[in-house]
Amino acid sequence: MSRGGRHVYAALSVLAAGALVLTGCSKGGSDASDNNKQDKENAARQQKSIKFGNAADSTGPAAAVPGAKAGGTMEVLQRDSYAHLDPAQIYVSDEGSLATLIHRGLTGYKASDNGKTHEVVGDLATDSGTPSDGGKTWKYTLKDGIKFADGTPITSADFRQTFERLFATFINQGPTYLQQWMADTSGVDYRKLLPDGPYKGKHLPSTVLETPDAKTVIFHFKSPHADLPYALAMAGYAVVSAKGDTQVKYDKAPVTSGPYKIQSFKSGKSMVLVKNTNWDPKTDPIRNQYVDQFNFTFNQQYETSTKALLADSGADQTGLSFNNQVDAGNLSSVLKDPKLKSRTISGYQPYVGQMNINLSHAALKDKTVREAIAYALPVTPFLRAYGGTDAMETAGGTISPTVSGYNAAFDPWGKKKNPAGDPVKAKALLKKAGKLNMKLTFGYINTPEGQQYSTAMAAGLKKAGFDVQRQEIPAETYYDQVSKLNNNYDIFHSAWGADWPSASTVIPPLYDGRVIADGAQNYPQVNDPKVNADIDAANKITDPVKAAAAWEKIDEYLVKDVVAFVPTAYYKQTQIAGSKVGGLVYDDVIGGVDPRRLFVK
Amino acid sequence: MLRFLVRRFLGAVVILFLLSIVTFVLFFGMPRDPGLLMCGKTCNPTSLANIHHVLGLDKPITTQYWIFLKNLVVGSNGFAQGPCPAPCFGYSYHTNDQVWATLIDRLPTTVSLTLGGAFFFLLIGLGTGLLAAWKRGTLIDKTATAGAMVLSSMQIYFLGPLALALLVYQTHIFDKPAYNDFTANPVTWFTGLIIPWVVLSTIFAAQYTRMARSAMIEQLQEEHVRTAKAKGMSRRYVFFRYAWRGSLIPIVTIFGIDLGALLGGAIITEYTFSLPGLGQLAVQAVFFSDLPLLLGVMIFSATMILLFNIIVDACYAFIDPRVRLA
Repeated sequence: MSRGGRHVYAALSVLAAGALVLTGCSKGGSDASDNNKQDKENAARQQKSIKFGNAADSTGPAAAVPGAKAGGTMEVLQRDSYAHLDPAQIYVSDEGSLATLIHRGLTGYKASDNGKTHEVVGDLATDSGTPSDGGKTWKYTLKDGIKFADGTPITSADFRQTFERLFATFINQGPTYLQQWMADTSGVDYRKLLPDGPYKGKHLPSTVLETPDAKTVIFHFKSPHADLPYALAMAGYAVVSAKGDTQVKYDKAPVTSGPYKIQSFKSGKSMVLVKNTNWDPKTDPIRNQYVDQFNFTFNQQYETSTKALLADSGADQTGLSFNNQVDAGNLSSVLKDPKLKSRTISGYQPYVGQMNINLSHAALKDKTVREAIAYALPVTPFLRAYGGTDAMETAGGTISPTVSGYNAAFDPWGKKKNPAGDPVKAKALLKKAGKLNMKLTFGYINTPEGQQYSTAMAAGLKKAGFDVQRQEIPAETYYDQVSKLNNNYDIFHSAWGADWPSASTVIPPLYDGRVIADGAQNYPQVNDPKVNADIDAANKITDPVKAAAAWEKIDEYLVKDVVAFVPTAYYKQTQIAGSKVGGLVYDDVIGGVDPRRLFVK
Repeated sequence: MLRFLVRRFLGAVVILFLLSIVTFVLFFGMPRDPGLLMCGKTCNPTSLANIHHVLGLDKPITTQYWIFLKNLVVGSNGFAQGPCPAPCFGYSYHTNDQVWATLIDRLPTTVSLTLGGAFFFLLIGLGTGLLAAWKRGTLIDKTATAGAMVLSSMQIYFLGPLALALLVYQTHIFDKPAYNDFTANPVTWFTGLIIPWVVLSTIFAAQYTRMARSAMIEQLQEEHVRTAKAKGMSRRYVFFRYAWRGSLIPIVTIFGIDLGALLGGAIITEYTFSLPGLGQLAVQAVFFSDLPLLLGVMIFSATMILLFNIIVDACYAFIDPRVRLA
């Protein structure tokens, strides 16, 4: 997923502009080192531990959270209201966090009792899936005793409805991996498989989806898809009630299946979740149900929620935010104070930033010029603009520390050692290419952070001998502008996050030359035959470990040999909670606090 | 009077009609395509065209505008989200909520903020202004004048966070601002809004202080006031019965405009204190290129301003017997 949802982010970044302010120099010292060390340890565990669980791993109830007790009300301060509650429309992280409490799918991520390791297990299914035919066929068996919040048993008919309605045109916000795999196509051509969804009496053929009895769901793909258990763990593929499917209206009042149900939802104002009495903990290896009620309040900017939680008075003592971060202005002081720090959690977000080099422009087809940009580009300004090293970490490649295959030692342009860039080396390269003082148009997002980092980055590039022309792009239209094929910008920044901890959700959408199109996410317009062939080969690998190694090789080739972009930063975040919030754990898969473990102290 | 009101209301309808046209034209002049917001990750021309069709954006602007007007007057059953009774502004592109219901849902917050704030800024502003005029030339007058000058130069985005830091987060004297339903609990309604009222009234009160003072001083120098004094009427009687009534016209004028504007949405105040009112809704509509919501907020806000202008004009006749409405 692109950061914060592809188009929405641009708008939201403006809303956040007031909260994300300059904090001065990036923070150093022992606190920062400790935090970084902790983040890296968590990430390392994450990469190693993701595996597909068997029936034993998938059996409920979930392990008790140490010290947890039932009862109490928790206040949840959120910046953005939820635009979608229909699982099929859920993609962005905010709604994904909420979905962990209200929706369940065939598979899910199970965190260990200390929240440090994860595995993909059967959620409503008895295990993470049984592949056959080299990964082209996957079979799932539903557990006994699983029900929707309205008391209706969950059967394979509900899953048929769930997957068939993904093809209906009103479903246009959620992930499309499964639909494309079922239709064996890319883009939106998958809709041709079942143009109206299940609503006009047509259904997916048994060569694609089989539901031979009430408890069995079988997928048949034309090519192997080893990542299916990951994909099915996405909120976008959670179960929808066949009986309660109200189509478009389902987005406002879904029939939930998780440990909590929606008591009330006032869009843009508030939401109340209460316990779902039809949820059986014995069927759920992933979630706990300690808190009696979650009260959500929306429109709480990062600064507002941080100050309220720092004050730690009244209802805010049992308060937290699922998605708001500690605002950049308060971040350093919060992490320096041991008392406050004890109420925080930190970790990586799935996003990785990159400075794109537009390969469609003639002057940039020269690899030496691109190498000069890669050496010259200072990434320090980018880190500083977003709050320093507590909020960002210098990136070596495009695979995040939370994704399998991440190589911490990979740093071809020396950014980790020298984030300020190497203008001398860059100048020499530019001279060698005979392009000294060449014009370089730098398109930047017109936000306070964009203004700040683009100015300093441009200065760094100028030192290396580029004639940099900065061009602002309105935040609201930023991604629309830079994703146009014939845009004017030589370099521009973007960020992307993996949909699950595999680079198969990063490299193909960003660098497959066959998906270059207006509005697509191959921003630098990379169309390298070797990359395309390697992507096809990696997609066919069914062993996750071998696949991770293959993706990392492609990443290294892209960064070092193609030089179509310069990785800038791995996004991190710190969240804070009130003093009476228990079970506070940062989950790298969710990309924030894990709501399933929370309790009131 | 009836003729006056009918004429003004008809004029207001024409203005709203023109405003809706301008909003429509400006919306389609924006560089951003609202369809892209809904297009998701795998956006391509086919899926975008489908979204345009679903939203009705593939029709000519004139057709879309006609449908908008028709829905506004007679409602519509043509939305996939459900029926939309008149006045139908349609459904939000972003949240799929019915726009009119959203406006009505947000209205109590804005009304509470406005009326409470207005009560305080009138009370404090006029009280201080009258006192300054009464004690003209004294230390009280000079302090009030200087204070009003300083406060009128303040901004909500400065005073708001300051008040929150001092009165809520550090000293815990007041509750964190929030809108609570008055009918559910009047006490939490009051305590949740007291800080926004105080901040709003601090800034607005300053201009009422200055206006009340200068209007009173001007009135006190009028011939009819001098005559009243010469007749031997008490200073208090002349002050309140003669000068005060004469000062009301400019105050009522500005109050009517302020009230209308605030009811249309106190954007910065609502944003600063995280209050879910019409102002916040306006910001959301702009950021998400949400035409139905944008039109709803614009027309609702404009209606409030026009309505209060008419009320103010009607009030002139009651305040000043010399004014005759025709």
